Amino acid sequence: MSEAIKDQPRVLPYVSAITEAVQQVLKEQDNAFVAGEDVGQAGSVFGYYQGLLAEFGDRRIVDTPISEKGIIGLGVGAAATGCRPILDVMFMDFLGECMDEVANQMAKMRFMFGGGATLPITVLTMAGAGMNLAAQHSQSWEAWLAHLPGVKVVMPSNAYDAKGLIIAAARDDNPVFVVLNKMSLAMPAEVPEHMYEVPIGTSAIVRPGTNFTILAIGRMVHEALAAAKTLEALGVDCEVIDVRSIQPFDSATAVTSIEKTHRALIVHEAVRFGGFGGEIVAQLQEEAFDYLDAPIARVGAPFSPVPYSPALEKVYIPNADNIVAEVKKVLGL
Amino acid sequence: MHAIGLVANPASGKDIRRLAGKASVFDNREKLAIVKRAVAGAIATGAERFVYMNDSHGIVSEAIKAIRVPRGVRFEALPSPKTSSAMDTTAAAEQMASRDCAVVLVLGGDGTNRAFVKGWRGATLVSLSTGTNNVFPVMAEATVAGMVLGLMATGGLKARSVARRVKIIDVSIDGEADDLALIDAVATSDTFIGARALLDPDRLKEALLCRAEPAAVGMTSLGGLIRPVADEDDFGLHLVFSKDGRCLKAPIGPGLFATLKVGSTRKVRFDHAIALKGPLVLAFDGERERMVGMGQNVRMTISRTGPWVVDLNQAMQLCAKKKLLLESN
Amino acid sequence: MEDGKIPGALHLYVGQEAVAVGVMAHLSNADQITSTHRGHGHVIAKGGEFSPMFAELYGKATGYCKGKGGSMHISNMALGILGANGIVGGGPPIAMGAAFSNKFRKTKQVSVTFFGDGASNEGSFHEAANMAALYQLPCVFVCENNGFGEYTAQTNHQAVTDVADRAAGYGMPGVVVDGMDVMAVYEAAEAAVERARSGQGPTLLECKTYRYYDHVGVRGMGLTYRTDEEVEAWKARDAIESFEALLIKQGVSTKKKIENVYARVNEEILEGVAFAESSPFPTEEDLLQDVYFVGAAS
Repeated sequence: MSEAIKDQPRVLPYVSAITEAVQQVLKEQDNAFVAGEDVGQAGSVFGYYQGLLAEFGDRRIVDTPISEKGIIGLGVGAAATGCRPILDVMFMDFLGECMDEVANQMAKMRFMFGGGATLPITVLTMAGAGMNLAAQHSQSWEAWLAHLPGVKVVMPSNAYDAKGLIIAAARDDNPVFVVLNKMSLAMPAEVPEHMYEVPIGTSAIVRPGTNFTILAIGRMVHEALAAAKTLEALGVDCEVIDVRSIQPFDSATAVTSIEKTHRALIVHEAVRFGGFGGEIVAQLQEEAFDYLDAPIARVGAPFSPVPYSPALEKVYIPNADNIVAEVKKVLGL
Repeated sequence: MHAIGLVANPASGKDIRRLAGKASVFDNREKLAIVKRAVAGAIATGAERFVYMNDSHGIVSEAIKAIRVPRGVRFEALPSPKTSSAMDTTAAAEQMASRDCAVVLVLGGDGTNRAFVKGWRGATLVSLSTGTNNVFPVMAEATVAGMVLGLMATGGLKARSVARRVKIIDVSIDGEADDLALIDAVATSDTFIGARALLDPDRLKEALLCRAEPAAVGMTSLGGLIRPVADEDDFGLHLVFSKDGRCLKAPIGPGLFATLKVGSTRKVRFDHAIALKGPLVLAFDGERERMVGMGQNVRMTISRTGPWVVDLNQAMQLCAKKKLLLESN
Repeated sequence: MEDGKIPGALHLYVGQEAVAVGVMAHLSNADQITSTHRGHGHVIAKGGEFSPMFAELYGKATGYCKGKGGSMHISNMALGILGANGIVGGGPPIAMGAAFSNKFRKTKQVSVTFFGDGASNEGSFHEAANMAALYQLPCVFVCENNGFGEYTAQTNHQAVTDVADRAAGYGMPGVVVDGMDVMAVYEAAEAAVERARSGQGPTLLECKTYRYYDHVGVRGMGLTYRTDEEVEAWKARDAIESFEALLIKQGVSTKKKIENVYARVNEEILEGVAFAESSPFPTEEDLLQDVYFVGAAS
């Protein structure tokens, strides 16, 4: 049965795409369950597990104590013994509570055991600033995770990718972090009803262009698209790449683009210093040095914790204007 | 002014009966708090001198550190071998016997009191339960117990008017050290000591009981449910378990019931010896203690030559009657 | 190790044998354990073989973990060994997860986590204990209280003297047992494992034991943080020697038979060592294997 017959064209917000992905995974995999803080009775503080407790019961939608070490440990032990856990770390900031379980247990167990253990774990976690939630509920820590051999990290920027990446993560036999963005929850996109995967390790060209490459991570894809529109008026035809998988990172798509455009900028919401953009820059200068006509630019948050005040947060989060300004700087415009 | 002895067993209330039965852990912080309350009570009624077992977990020493000790009140730690076993309690008892202790506060279970009596048989005891299924120690508020300790130390209350000498079981084993039990001595067909608690009814062979209390749990209740024997009675009870005996459903531990087959039940007069022959394991006051080898003989007798046990209620009634705490105008 | 044949750090289990043996007697290969820094004793007691174990200690390709884990990460999924752990307190959350899985999959498997007095101060232990009790998981928390967290005596690292006292705080039973008496551990573990297997939830079983050697390495005496007299006092209660005496006294075995066991085990150890020494090291090509699962998803 082809998709066209099966699915009517349909638009879903990001939040509902997450729900649908998890629901379909739970139907497909008998040994999958969701565990996390307020995932059951509350349906998640972001609402994306609404209805799942009623549908699947408390055996498979498991409310946990506020115990991130316990949640990740539960997932590691359960995955190693035949389950396919979907774990929820409510805010990405809370990874600090369980970094040992993530970095020293989950990420390394397979390797340390000489391949003896397989850990099909999906972790959903919420990143990003923009809601005045201040320094401990707004961060983007994807670079921490990407630095860990043994885990995969994806960051869907839209509803379609959110569903497809969650399904791909749940079918993957490795630990995969799906880093969601809280400012994107209401953002709609066309989402087919059937189960589909967005392959982990692939970027997407979301706007083809000819003379400048913008690599954007997570929600910054939308800022990059807005910037591209502004830059178009100045005669800069940007190709925007959605780096939806940062571990593994799809360098081939980026290199191919630069072979054409000869210039690049990387934008992420995380702090610029030490951010994942630095890794991309390094890879591109190794693989595409001869094609570059200018230094690769980076846009990221300033080196500061996420501020609370709306006045400060507004200037803290990178936006289209910052991207435009940086592109103009590179081009000497 | 006499001294008061303090013994807190750090190991009581922690054994396998929390698993096999439904007992709960008696945590050492609560024992520490009990010591504090008892010492406060004793100081309030005039006590000035304490000697204590320097237990391996520092229960009493920590309690003393945590209270404001008035001028003139002294605490003396007795040197301890610190074996983290019942031997520590026995060693403390031996030393207290020569330290002019009018009365000793013992925190523990039946086993703790037994270990103490092995070191000082003629002691006068206030025994509070911090153990499991206890018959010997009582559940009582430590503050009140402490008041009684103080009144006895000052001489306001005399042991002979508030304490009673209890029965005891003496056990002799061929070629080995003698032993004793305060409540019950049981022979089992176990082959090792292990986790000590008596939990397997099928292994029970015979039991000699000083006291057969129907309103208690453990071995004493087995006899108690058939033929109650109080501590006041000048005799004991001998049970023989047998496959073709009568069925008795009894609480062999906290929350733990078993059906036992009791062959015979006989009153035992003082100094009448019950003889047994190994191989067997002997359990005293609910815990497997001694392995008896093939052909080894065991003799057990009951007598009223045990320690003196203070009746707290009687003591406080007497305190009120004598107006010991009522200041004169 | 002193010959430089075993690289890295080795944390010996010697002295604590009664705990591993007394507990593992109640487990099958399907039951899971998580271990500590001192994983060798648990591996052997769970049914591990000397050859792949020594090969792992030597960092050889034939080791239980292909030489990638080493002493601190020795594991074998077929035997239900979810790893020794180099992180103090690393095991309890994983064992809790395995127990969750056992209950979720409706098996009768039980998971046991071994950890020390030191690990009982880690948040991971508390979270795992709370969740195991909350969900009534088939999990046994076995605290091997050997008196030291690395080089710090228990009295200097926690205000409680019995880790089992904490059980009440999680809503599970706590028991203290003599960890130098294999039969005492055996009886207590039997009750705890049975409790877990029959769906009555977790237990905290504290075994009082002692580490004959230093935190790491092969020195036992002349250490700055404990006295030789203390070591000797514990050795006088050695679990293996006292169990041998019990077997002989009860007529179950004889001195001669026990000597034969020693001879046989020594032979197996020598075979294991020879296997390890003659085994190849892993090659550079092996390095990037097993970082990720590669292949069709199961």
